[in-house]
Amino acid sequence: MEKLKVLHVDIGSCEGCNVSILRALPKIQEFVDLDMKYLAKKTCARDKYDMVIITGGVCMNEPHIIEKVKSLREKTSTIVAFGSCATFGGILRFCRGGQEPRPDHRNFQPINSVVKVDYSIPGCPPTPQMVQSFFKFFVAGDKKRLKLFKVYADIKKLSGFDLIDDIVLTGLCIGCGACELSCPTQAIEMIDRRPNLIAEKCIRCGTCYVRCPRASQMLSMGGRK
Amino acid sequence: MIGLASDNLLGTVFGVYLARAKDEEIRRRKVASGGAVTALLTYALEKGIVDGVVAAKRTKGLEGQAVVAHNKKELLEAAGNKWSIVPFATRMKAKIEEENLKKVALVCLPCQAQFFAQMRDFPLLESDFGERIKYIVSLFCMGTFAFNAFLNYLRMKYNIKAEQIRDIHLKKDFLEIVYNGTKLDLPIEEVYSYLQTGCLVCTDYTGIWSDISAGFVESEPGWTVLMARNPKAEELIKSAEKEGYLELKEGSHVVGEILKKAREKLARAQQNMSYLL
Repeated sequence: MEKLKVLHVDIGSCEGCNVSILRALPKIQEFVDLDMKYLAKKTCARDKYDMVIITGGVCMNEPHIIEKVKSLREKTSTIVAFGSCATFGGILRFCRGGQEPRPDHRNFQPINSVVKVDYSIPGCPPTPQMVQSFFKFFVAGDKKRLKLFKVYADIKKLSGFDLIDDIVLTGLCIGCGACELSCPTQAIEMIDRRPNLIAEKCIRCGTCYVRCPRASQMLSMGGRK
Repeated sequence: MIGLASDNLLGTVFGVYLARAKDEEIRRRKVASGGAVTALLTYALEKGIVDGVVAAKRTKGLEGQAVVAHNKKELLEAAGNKWSIVPFATRMKAKIEEENLKKVALVCLPCQAQFFAQMRDFPLLESDFGERIKYIVSLFCMGTFAFNAFLNYLRMKYNIKAEQIRDIHLKKDFLEIVYNGTKLDLPIEEVYSYLQTGCLVCTDYTGIWSDISAGFVESEPGWTVLMARNPKAEELIKSAEKEGYLELKEGSHVVGEILKKAREKLARAQQNMSYLL
């Protein structure tokens, strides 16, 4: 079987996502031919790729980044936003300008604000095993399993705040505790059998929302965020 | 594989069986149906296929708690219907790490099955423990009670206190509440409004993300329906039969009945979504 030609481009992440992809590399090498700047390969060497993985959020104050993302869209039929910054804005959402080291950066957006994204994989960072799973299901063409990631590709913002608004305050929460377990920063604690968000701790990675059975069931049934 | 498309209401189904425990002790203690889940998991534990079973155990009233069972005795203690959701995600993680379990079987509801299966398929976090989950058994579910509200209702209207309730059974279209040596039959319609709101918009009856779905149908009393959703689950059920833990018979004739229930749940969900969302 021919290997999947994949390009990885980082447009400003903390490197956590990149390390995660690197760690997964030994396990995906047999079916993925990855172009990545850490691999001492000339990236963007091909005209066309089967898949482009983008990590990091788009700084709206950097026109050349926006152009770069748009040019990547031309290179492939499948763009994968990897990590919470690329999918939902993540912690970069807190950028407000005047902050060191780049006071000129005032606003970051997820990739799907600029171009159409095909799959979004949230997580801060998603684990290497997640990279493996994703490629496994992608190569196998398992659309059913990948459906949720397709749905997230159209969502620009997802966080603990959305979880509280959409699921808890609407009364749909069943109190299973999935969100509490999923939060990487322990921003959620169960109080009276319902999650409570400690606002300062939420890094807007969206993992809780993605893991909420109620939320993910409704999204995969065609519900809209 | 019987003729069901993978995107239908019941999810992927490899095989449907009617099963019951061969063990007399399990059969005697059975609560919902044939005790097949208890027997199946006893088999898995005794043969070392799993090293622990995490399940919910009703402690007092309608409240429950997550427990790890290591043998038949502990399994039997946890067996039976649950009427409230047990928030065992976090608790379970602690349990698994505490005892350093490597191969766990989980007995849970469709929503929890979805969460754990998603974690297993898509480990987003370094702290995920999906690789330790070997089997996910989901029980058929029509919803869980907002039990504080429900208990309050029972107390106000029927003067039944939480600690008096011995057991609750779902009969055809009423709930049988066993308390203080007597029984009370409550029509289902009467108690519907005490289900959790989130359950009223849930569309999953069988637990389409699980490895094995288990439940009962009215036309086959005394038998548990087991739905295997992948070859791994199928193998477990078959070998449990071979080893003499389970009595098995073909069950594809009850699929229609399960589907009817699933449609009922879907219709209810659609109706409720229209005014809740």
